[in-house]
Amino acid sequence: MRKYLAQRIARAVLTIFLVVSFTFFLIRLMPGNPIDLYVQEQVTTYGHTYEQALEQARGFFALDVDAPLSVQYAQYLGNLARGNLGQSILSPGTPVSSLIKKFLPWTLFSVGLALMISFTLGVGLGMLMAYRRESWIDHVLTIIATVTTAVPNYLIGILLLVVLGVQTNLINVAAIRGSLSPGVRPGLTLTFLLDALSHAALPITTYVLATAGAWMLSMKSNTLGTLGEDYVGFARARGLPDRRIAIAYVGRNALLPLFTQLTIAIGFVVGGSALIEYIFNYQGIGLVLYESIVRRDYPVMQGVFLVITVSVVLANLLADLLYGRLDPRVDLTAEPV
Amino acid sequence: MDSLLSIRDLSIAYRGRGGTSQALREVSLDLYRDETLGLIGESGSGKTTLALAVLRMLPPAAHIPQGQILYHHDGRTADVLSLGAERLRRYRGEEVAMVFQSALSSLNPVLRIWDQFLDTARAHGETDPARVRTRTRELLSHVQLEPERVLSAFPHELSGGMRQRVMLALALLLRPRVVVLDEPTTALDILTQRTIIDLLRSLRREFGFSMMFISHDLSLAAELADRVATMYAGRIVEIGTTDELFYEPRHPYTVGLLQAVPTVHGDHRTLHSIPGSPPNLQRLPAGCKFHPRCPYVRPVCTEAEPDLLHVSNGHRSACFFWDEVRR
Repeated sequence: MRKYLAQRIARAVLTIFLVVSFTFFLIRLMPGNPIDLYVQEQVTTYGHTYEQALEQARGFFALDVDAPLSVQYAQYLGNLARGNLGQSILSPGTPVSSLIKKFLPWTLFSVGLALMISFTLGVGLGMLMAYRRESWIDHVLTIIATVTTAVPNYLIGILLLVVLGVQTNLINVAAIRGSLSPGVRPGLTLTFLLDALSHAALPITTYVLATAGAWMLSMKSNTLGTLGEDYVGFARARGLPDRRIAIAYVGRNALLPLFTQLTIAIGFVVGGSALIEYIFNYQGIGLVLYESIVRRDYPVMQGVFLVITVSVVLANLLADLLYGRLDPRVDLTAEPV
Repeated sequence: MDSLLSIRDLSIAYRGRGGTSQALREVSLDLYRDETLGLIGESGSGKTTLALAVLRMLPPAAHIPQGQILYHHDGRTADVLSLGAERLRRYRGEEVAMVFQSALSSLNPVLRIWDQFLDTARAHGETDPARVRTRTRELLSHVQLEPERVLSAFPHELSGGMRQRVMLALALLLRPRVVVLDEPTTALDILTQRTIIDLLRSLRREFGFSMMFISHDLSLAAELADRVATMYAGRIVEIGTTDELFYEPRHPYTVGLLQAVPTVHGDHRTLHSIPGSPPNLQRLPAGCKFHPRCPYVRPVCTEAEPDLLHVSNGHRSACFFWDEVRR
């Protein structure tokens, strides 16, 4: 077991290193860089010479875009190894790590909560659909699930905004901009929690609407498969109560394949939020990513991508390690055949 | 004799895309106390439907146009087909237990064997784990398993034969008075089959229950059953004691089944298969359903379907010409 764990962790570290390197070069392949923009602005607005402006930019950004890529790459890795993610180009002096610390919790809160709601709802409704298959409730839910799964999440977000916020005026859009109302301080108070929830409500609704359908459909087909299993028939023949059969015999077995999907979805919690947070102007890490991409803020982009990579890799590692506990047939220590 | 289960004029049909299949047609049958009854017949003859009906475990597509299944207990009689949900749940497992064909897939893969015993006991009001443990140990020893090793194992850690034995123990946990077995040995290799047959015998001696088992394996029926019923196209076509049925069969279908089985002493040239194939249950032929395949067929057989006719005491055959039928 210890050997397996060491192998898995080594592989995870290698994966993170490869993805980090890949994104480093990929980011620099995008047309346009922040210093060009800055230098141009200095030259046209303040009448500096090009050399002056460039010199200023170098000192200002602590980033030399003229240096060979290999030098920049080595520098980046060196800093990363010391835990230094660099500083934002756009807001000089702001370390990337403090940006992440400030914005990531909001994303974890909203997307994480949405994922829990979506998964629970999807699993519950999926089982209901399977138990009541071919009834009207199954047909209605199948249509809803298929449609919401097919529509991209940002369209659902825009639709919510237009319908609830503009056409019917049910929601005061201005009041729920951002992630907290002015004057509300974070802390374990009811006002804070309610305020945070009201600001996150629309993004959460969007995530849930966009993802619950997929959970429902997977859970329905898994449950249908499990209902036909002999051990379910044998349990009924022994007079076990329906509730016990539904939970421990049907539910647990139907959930197993969904569990892997869930851990992978946890990994994408951070990455999947960019467009939605932009639409609702929700102050999370996705919005930071969106803005940094638009303005080519290399260090910030690298920082956020690192967070995404690490969370996906960790989630996968967790999935592998936990699966052996959930499904007794899986033996982690067994040598691959 | 004391009847535990009386099946009366039971008909069961399956609604499907191509129409309605007549799985059982007006079957009447009794299962007596302390007896072992074997149901034999080809696939599609209705034997599994009959077994499932006894526990009311029929698939949703099945419907029951007529008939009764009466369960007699302590001088009272209950109609199984009209039991309420809760009484039906208690009836399953406590009064009538079922053992399935598929030993490999009949245990929940994510629960330890002990939890599956405990679940069963709890479902029927036994809340003291210590008592369940004692009873479970006793049963597992009886089916020649090491209780402690098996109870802490997951199903996939046991062999097919061990799982079949666990299933037997699990079925007997609540001391049922009737055990229904659907092809209890089909999924097992020949040596394991032998052990299961011996086990079934000793368990019945020890715990005294009635057994109704389904098989297409005639040698199993010959070894285990006191009485045998042959089924064809949803009906019982012959029923009698095991000796009578095997040595003096009086229905051409039973004769055909017996001649299709190789014997150790017999000449392989005497082996015959029954010509033709089992009837389409959606479009049954008129008259006796076996007449298209029957060597004794006469004009009357294509017009009328015979009832079970008296051959001798307890031996009945649904053939107009049973007197002429010989092995």
